[in-house]
Amino acid sequence: MATKQKSNYKYLRDKWIGKHKELQKNLWDKHKDIVDWVSDNSKQLALGSVSGLMLLTPTVTKTIPNQAIFASQQEFAKVIDKSVFLISDLFHVLPSKVRELTPSEEDVITQTLTRHFGFRVTPELQGIRLNRSYGYIGAEQHLTRYSGDTMSTHFDNQTDAQKFFSSGMAPGLGAWGYFSSNGQLTEKDILREKYYIAVQTFLAPGFNEHVKEYVDFFKYKKMLVVNPNNGRVVVAIIGDAGPADWTGKHLGGSPEVMSYLERFDGAQKGPVLYFFIDDPEDKIPLGPINVR
Amino acid sequence: MYDNYMKKSFYNHLVTIDSLTIELDKIEMSQDEKRHLILLIDSNIHQTVLNVVLSELQGNDKKIFLHHLSSGDHDKAWIHLKGKIENVENKIKKAADEIIKELHEDIKKIKS
Repeated sequence: MATKQKSNYKYLRDKWIGKHKELQKNLWDKHKDIVDWVSDNSKQLALGSVSGLMLLTPTVTKTIPNQAIFASQQEFAKVIDKSVFLISDLFHVLPSKVRELTPSEEDVITQTLTRHFGFRVTPELQGIRLNRSYGYIGAEQHLTRYSGDTMSTHFDNQTDAQKFFSSGMAPGLGAWGYFSSNGQLTEKDILREKYYIAVQTFLAPGFNEHVKEYVDFFKYKKMLVVNPNNGRVVVAIIGDAGPADWTGKHLGGSPEVMSYLERFDGAQKGPVLYFFIDDPEDKIPLGPINVR
Repeated sequence: MYDNYMKKSFYNHLVTIDSLTIELDKIEMSQDEKRHLILLIDSNIHQTVLNVVLSELQGNDKKIFLHHLSSGDHDKAWIHLKGKIENVENKIKKAADEIIKELHEDIKKIKS
């Protein structure tokens, strides 16, 4: 029997996720007026508790939530609270299939992200855009930050080493060489390598006609990378070019980026949104960011 | 021990999932898997209770209730409900008992 073939946990998990979806759909259908009101007034409603906000979005996941989420009830609420409206807003715009977004979809998402984060987010900056702004992300390796950087020198604490050592280091340099200049590794260099993404710069419209201009433009450009399924968001820089078109992936994330977004490579790969951040004064810090 | 994984809610004093956690303890699975299932139990109960409460409240009363909830003020949310819904305790308990019973049935199936 099919039930018997499943493990106890998987059987109950799937059963109860299904039940939850059904209950939630009933709730949304039956109380559409108040759900719409909550959605329209998200700014006015305080985000202090997960409870009411569960009206708007699924809070159940098929995977076991990260151990950190279990650390305390408050921690759990905090993680969910800050992203719940973002997930809900994106859910209503994104296509069910991962594909290039239409201009009108990009417009809505641009407005949504700009509103949620309080700085300008855009798919096109200075007249330049990437080949797409929504696609599958794959896992990249660590990049060499300076001549002599190895896996044994790469981490400044044991926790990161334990967590990210296994990703290994890419055999070659990133598209723009070492992150450090003059052999001096700065905090900024460290963060850039830690939170880098690789994007298909070579597929950007107009790239072949303006190679140098485009390569200069893309170097370390800040992007907002959003996992629309869990609301986790990272401010990253473009630190490399790739992946190849044939891989079926559209961008790559450093081990730290992938870990925070809870995205995986291979059969479990999932999509992210990636939009430029208009930050001419370099004020927005790299790394995980919460909805304001 | 699993109470720590449940969210604070305005109905915590009315609903207990002890009977379910006891049953889960008898089933072979990891602690993380049990915790995940408890979160799912919690979510299912929460949706059920919200459905009951919102069905009983009218117009602005729903907004006031959700405002308290989104502020994390469960005491005010509860006081509001007590003032607006007759026999609110019984209604919440009845709905929660039904979903808990369903969840027990699911557990029974894997034991049979």
